[in-house]
Amino acid sequence: MKKPLLTILKEGTIMNVPIRALGIATSIFWILLIAFLALSAYSFKDLNFDFGEPQLTTAPDGQLLFSLPLYIDNRGYCSLKEFSLSTIFSDSEGVEISRANTFVPVIPSGKNVTIFHNFTMSMDSVLENAEQYLFDDNNLTASVTAGLTFAELLPAQISTNFTFPWGAPFHNFALGQPSFGRFNSTYSTMSVPMSFENHAALDLEGSIRAKLFDSVGSSLGESQTLFFVPQQTSCNGNLEFYIPLSTASLSTANNGHFKVYFFTPLLEYGPLVIPYG
Amino acid sequence: MVEEKKKRKNIIKDVSFRVVKAALKAILVYLIYFLLAPMLAPLFGLIPGIMQSIEAFVVIYIVLMILSDLTERTVFQYFFSTARTLFIIAYLLLSLSDGTISTSYENFSLTLNLTLFYTIAISLSLLGLASSILQAINFMCERAEVSSGLQPPQKA
Repeated sequence: MKKPLLTILKEGTIMNVPIRALGIATSIFWILLIAFLALSAYSFKDLNFDFGEPQLTTAPDGQLLFSLPLYIDNRGYCSLKEFSLSTIFSDSEGVEISRANTFVPVIPSGKNVTIFHNFTMSMDSVLENAEQYLFDDNNLTASVTAGLTFAELLPAQISTNFTFPWGAPFHNFALGQPSFGRFNSTYSTMSVPMSFENHAALDLEGSIRAKLFDSVGSSLGESQTLFFVPQQTSCNGNLEFYIPLSTASLSTANNGHFKVYFFTPLLEYGPLVIPYG
Repeated sequence: MVEEKKKRKNIIKDVSFRVVKAALKAILVYLIYFLLAPMLAPLFGLIPGIMQSIEAFVVIYIVLMILSDLTERTVFQYFFSTARTLFIIAYLLLSLSDGTISTSYENFSLTLNLTLFYTIAISLSLLGLASSILQAINFMCERAEVSSGLQPPQKA
């Protein structure tokens, strides 16, 4: 039997069913979305970050190695993805000195992970930019950025800037007034007091070589001294020069300049010109 | 006279049913918020003012929902329903304009990228808006059918 073209249907049958289905589907998706957001936010409570004691060591190639342990305890319901930690050290003028990145693809839920954020700093590159870091304390700026994707689809980023005190290894390096003495019939001695403070985070070991030049620029003698200065202590010593006794040298040795060279496993620097007399 | 009394009784019954339904729905929504708020607090507690903003949002949402339930089976139900959906869209647009929340505390700055959540929420709100408009059209069509005498047969 053929159905008539204009069938009278029950009230609301034509439109109500799809509209209601649309409404129910939307409500279900809203519930899922809110539940997911609430669960993610609740998981954030059970996420712990902690920093360990930073370790400073020297590499054989004369670089400073900083290692910062980072403990992440993810006791939440969601895993963390694409965890990245980036550190940029720059000097007071904003010139980049060192940069380090650490990346962990996944930190699963319920796991405790220890990450070592390592970065190297070449003393040569520091001194290339400014030699003041050798003799004057300063402040370096560290920009730290940590990013992660929380609960698979909520990327978050935290960033901070802080100043990092830089202790100069040869802080207040100075040579005092020279004092002359007679060594033997052909040589006289010249003793120059030397002092500096090691403000660096490492014990300092090495040698200082100084060349003595008279007022006309002629080399009169050379001296070398070894040192071992623990961190945050001062070093006081003398540089001894043996000057040949001649009329010319005696007349010009009362004033002149020193050329000082520094040798340590971490750095080699020189000459530092210091006048005297 | 008896019929008028019966009609009045039916109106009172209908209104009280709507009030009870609206109250129950409002209590249920507030209860959900009450249970979810402590879960959201650890994350959103870092962002000043957001919990107060969410609370204000829930209050306005409940008010519009009550109004929509009280005006059930009238065209105003769909007005309030549409207003509620538009309010959700406006709230999302104003609070998460570019999908990211940024806050600073002392020297730290935290950025939370909620773009995906924002996209899904806006899509669902648009679906809700479409649903409200379709319901209003359907309601007006049924009204027109009734007034033109083409009403469908009533149940016995």
